[in-house]
Amino acid sequence: MKKLTCLVLVLLAAALSLAPSAFAQDTYRIGAAFALSGSIAVYGEGFKKVIDMAVEEINAAGGIKGKKIEIVYEDNKSTPKDCVTAVRKLITVDKVPVLFGPAGSSNFMAAAPVAQESKVVMLSAQGAAPNLTKAGEYIFRVFPSDVLQGKGASELCVRLGYKEVPVMYVNNDWGLGLKNAFVENFKKAGGKVTDEIPYDENKADYRAELIRATKGNPMAVVNLTYIKEGAVMFKQAYEMGIKTQWVCGSAARAPKLIELAEKAVEGIIGTYPYVAQDTKEYKAFAASYKKKYGDDKIPIFGDYNYDMVFLTAKAIEKGGYSSEGIRKALPEVAKGYRGITGDKTFDSDRGVGAEYGVWRIKGGKIVDSKE
Amino acid sequence: MAFLFQSILNGILAGCIYALFAMGLTLIYGVLNFVNFSHGELIMWGAYFLYFLMEKPLGLPLYAALLPALLLTTLLGVGMDRAVFKPLRKANALTLLIAALGLSFFLRNAAQFFYGAEIRTYGFEIRRGMRFWGMSITVNQVAIILTAVVCIVFLYFLFHRSALGKSMRAVSDDLELARVVGIDSKRAILSAWVIASALAGVGGILLALDTNLQPGMGLINLVKAFAATLLGGVGNLWGALFGGILIGMAENLGVLIISPGYKDAIAFAIMVLMLLLRPSVLLGRGRD
Repeated sequence: MKKLTCLVLVLLAAALSLAPSAFAQDTYRIGAAFALSGSIAVYGEGFKKVIDMAVEEINAAGGIKGKKIEIVYEDNKSTPKDCVTAVRKLITVDKVPVLFGPAGSSNFMAAAPVAQESKVVMLSAQGAAPNLTKAGEYIFRVFPSDVLQGKGASELCVRLGYKEVPVMYVNNDWGLGLKNAFVENFKKAGGKVTDEIPYDENKADYRAELIRATKGNPMAVVNLTYIKEGAVMFKQAYEMGIKTQWVCGSAARAPKLIELAEKAVEGIIGTYPYVAQDTKEYKAFAASYKKKYGDDKIPIFGDYNYDMVFLTAKAIEKGGYSSEGIRKALPEVAKGYRGITGDKTFDSDRGVGAEYGVWRIKGGKIVDSKE
Repeated sequence: MAFLFQSILNGILAGCIYALFAMGLTLIYGVLNFVNFSHGELIMWGAYFLYFLMEKPLGLPLYAALLPALLLTTLLGVGMDRAVFKPLRKANALTLLIAALGLSFFLRNAAQFFYGAEIRTYGFEIRRGMRFWGMSITVNQVAIILTAVVCIVFLYFLFHRSALGKSMRAVSDDLELARVVGIDSKRAILSAWVIASALAGVGGILLALDTNLQPGMGLINLVKAFAATLLGGVGNLWGALFGGILIGMAENLGVLIISPGYKDAIAFAIMVLMLLLRPSVLLGRGRD
């Protein structure tokens, strides 16, 4: 008897969860497999706020050809395993043709093959891993790849007049890709890379690598590092009295670096994908966020999520409400599209380019620099 | 030229750390005849125990927290033996190896559970090193070198001048024979664990003071310490110091020539070479 009750309940639950997709044909439904609980829930909550705002704006302006957009949120619990489950649920149960993927590159990449195999479009608004969209032609991102940082670092060196620099990098796919991009661009600009120094992650002692990098007292050393490794290195360089201008990418641009290495990181500069916040569009975005939520603490990557919603809406409008239509329409509507985070034209890897700003650590704080 | 001297100094420094770890490794190997692959986690927990005592809610100053931290490390070491290795005293080498590896994972994950995988520091102010002849050395680093030397001298006298040391050496030579002639083997084994754990704690704390804390800090250095042990001859204390410094120097000078991406390979290459050329190092011991 108990078993039967269970069965009935399960069937009822299944029927209820299926019901909306069967009857709700009056809206365009978009999936969102977001981290609403777990270790990076802070991302998901922030994204949701901005996405809800964007959807409201689109719907208030008449929706897509008169039909409203509706977001189906699914908690991915911040783990790769549950990301796969969440994406699968959105595809099979809610039957969405397009969805916003999980935050965190490894989480996103765990779920990407599911979307690709089901031929459902999946987008990322903050994934930076170079291979993020490698799963296939249904996977897009509106955020610049990390590899572009290598180019940014090269441009910064050229601007600052450093002609000969050694380059240090984390010895993994990420570091190597970044280093290659830097070397290629720097050589093209007429610079000379005097030495290449790969180093392992998670080491406590980088003194040997530092000595090799600063042999011959170079004016500047490019160091494509993470927070952890950077903190250890800059501390040891400081202790050994090494004086040079460190040039980094954006991965080290974090208050945690200053917390760990204090005054040893003073004066370090680096590049990062820069979003101009003084444009008319960005100001309008910030104003409507403040109006809706009462504060001006725009969530991290919120601006990219905002652009992602508008791009998706445009793609549905142009290509129709089918995954194939959206996939084909996305590059077309994105071409030359200027969102609040800049040019969103997709490249051949279905990613976007970026403009680069310069950061510097000054007085124990990360500040924008004019270099 | 200055960078060469600095590299040599850094090599000696790294070597002293390896030697401190190698001594504990060699001691347990000597007495119980197995390589304790969870020794690295004793090192790591030594550093974390100090962190625990210095952080809130206890907030002890460094000088007051040092001894309790070493005491906790020793308790952990003895506890390891009681809980895992003692029941396996008669087991074969493979069983002991797997038990030690399992314990290593457990202790490392325990640290990660309590403190997370992120790196931590004791929060002391970063200072420029003292400078002489174009080299620089920090107070911590002087302490590392001095401590390594003091520990070795202490152990040397313990082994060669005291009854306890002699009984440990007897147990190490032949457990059964030592028992027959009335040597308290249990006491000798306990002493070995106490000394090895205390050494691990000292080494871990010095390493963390010089660099930082993270759950993987023991594991990385253990392999180097193992190579140092082989190089110096298992069971040979001065050999541990010599082997440690040699590996430290080889690494620090080696990366000036070959790509630093292969830094770890240097220690491994030395280890493999030693095993190929002198396979007896694992067996022959106590030549000092």
